[in-house]
Amino acid sequence: MKAEIKGGSAFSYLDIELDAGEQITAESDAMSSMSAELDMATRPNGSVFTALLKKLLGGETFFINRFTNNTSGPCKITLVQPTPGEIRCVELNGDSLCLQPGAFMAATDGVTLGLRWAGLTSWIAREGLFKLVVSGNGKVWYGAYGALLEREVDGEFIVDTSHLVSYDPSLKLKLQLAGGLFSSFFGGEGLVTRVEGKGKIVIQTRSVSGLVSWINPKLY
Amino acid sequence: MNTSAYQVRVTGELNPGVSRESAVEAFSKLFKVANEKAENIFSKAPVVVKKGVDEATANKIQRALDNIGVQSAVEMATAEQVPQAQAQNEQKSEQSTNGSTLERAIERASNAPLKQEVHATSRLVEEQPGYQFKIEGQPDYAFLTVNIPAEKTLRVEASAMATMDTNLVMKTKAKGGLGRLLTSESIFINEFTSQNGPGEIGIAPASPGDLAHVYLRDETIFLQNSAFVASDMNVVVETKWQGLTKGFFSGESLFLIRCSGNGDLWFNTYGGMIMLDVDGDYVVDTSNIVAFTEGLDYKITKVGGYKSLFFSGEGFVCRFSGKGKVWIQTRSVQAFASWMYPYRPVKKKG
Repeated sequence: MKAEIKGGSAFSYLDIELDAGEQITAESDAMSSMSAELDMATRPNGSVFTALLKKLLGGETFFINRFTNNTSGPCKITLVQPTPGEIRCVELNGDSLCLQPGAFMAATDGVTLGLRWAGLTSWIAREGLFKLVVSGNGKVWYGAYGALLEREVDGEFIVDTSHLVSYDPSLKLKLQLAGGLFSSFFGGEGLVTRVEGKGKIVIQTRSVSGLVSWINPKLY
Repeated sequence: MNTSAYQVRVTGELNPGVSRESAVEAFSKLFKVANEKAENIFSKAPVVVKKGVDEATANKIQRALDNIGVQSAVEMATAEQVPQAQAQNEQKSEQSTNGSTLERAIERASNAPLKQEVHATSRLVEEQPGYQFKIEGQPDYAFLTVNIPAEKTLRVEASAMATMDTNLVMKTKAKGGLGRLLTSESIFINEFTSQNGPGEIGIAPASPGDLAHVYLRDETIFLQNSAFVASDMNVVVETKWQGLTKGFFSGESLFLIRCSGNGDLWFNTYGGMIMLDVDGDYVVDTSNIVAFTEGLDYKITKVGGYKSLFFSGEGFVCRFSGKGKVWIQTRSVQAFASWMYPYRPVKKKG
């Protein structure tokens, strides 16, 4: 399988060439173009119950599509994400990664997408009551609005709410005020997430709330 | 101040329409290395191809790479990037055999005359006297990371902080007071102070678009009312009444932000940003002005006669005269808003 992320950080897309017999799983509506020879099978994302949970709580689609190359030659497929912004790839070797709800886009065989209780902290931090956890062996593609930057955390690091896209499961998230009571309320920062531990995080350089607060006053 | 703190990293991505083969070939030609070696760099990307250079040289190398269709990133080699460097140890050990030749070749290539282009990151200063910073995600979703030295303070637009070290302390000030309310900015502004050692802050402006940096030396620069992102504490930020005709017809606001003094200043736009040197007269659409230096006089005029004023779609323009710099944005917020307007969700009446 050859996979390449193209299109820059504003409108990233995933260009994949599936060799004979290979498969890829993507959330529904991610496929934007593909060879006519590829077979697509649609099924719920897990059992009906967990798929429903993933949709309602994990921000993912109820159905996922599996694309299989049953021909003898290579076939092309392009996948996109619903929001403008960047796409990243992570290769899992038996480890796992936590994703922001809605961030998951596609994965190769051998990767399982699970939903885990993230806690009230995460919910208040606008990262969702549940978190998506991808684990297993294979490649995962995920994305979010904005450009995606990797940061190394060793000790403590503060990330504004709704900017955290993915993080190592070993990292602990805590909620705190951005400053004093007055500053947190009037400074526009409010609550922030305190990431503790050692590991990698990926942040998005724009937030939907920022976009909304910028454009909404201009739409009256 | 360490001026050799920059490095150039080949991201492995190519400009649209550039094939990998041709990029590898051009790369090996440009840096005078074997084809296999260039191929190696691309298959291992992202790879740092040049380290320990100053910002100007790093930008030069980046432009050289861009010319052959290879995307690269200029970054500060800070302590945070040590783990990344370790991850590439393998690559380095391989390079070390004739890495020095490669580096020298890159140096030669970067000194070669380059196609000059207007880039959004064009900066006023060659050496970096102020805070250490880097801008990533350009031009679409530019993100600013500033390293605040111990016990120093950075002034940041309200709700723009995205990440920070835990030793930074935030204070909210209502400075600017009423004026800022009138410029449709938040009347509050945050000050981040680094306690017990240096700290890093990541700043994400609200609108999609680019960021620019200037270092003011007893200079004054005027910003469009929502362009301010961050500044040194020695930069005085105040609102200035444009005058009734200028303000009323400029399509922006009755006020401008006046930044003066000594130190770093960052501002952002919606869309890409272009810096223009003005000598004489230059006309900019009123809704595309981001910033301009003091010394430029400006008038609000119409482009043609009254017929074109109403029907050309250009309306009023800003006519700059004198000598100085103007930053313009490649998209206008009002155009975006009016394009979006019919599609916004509305509640049914009754």
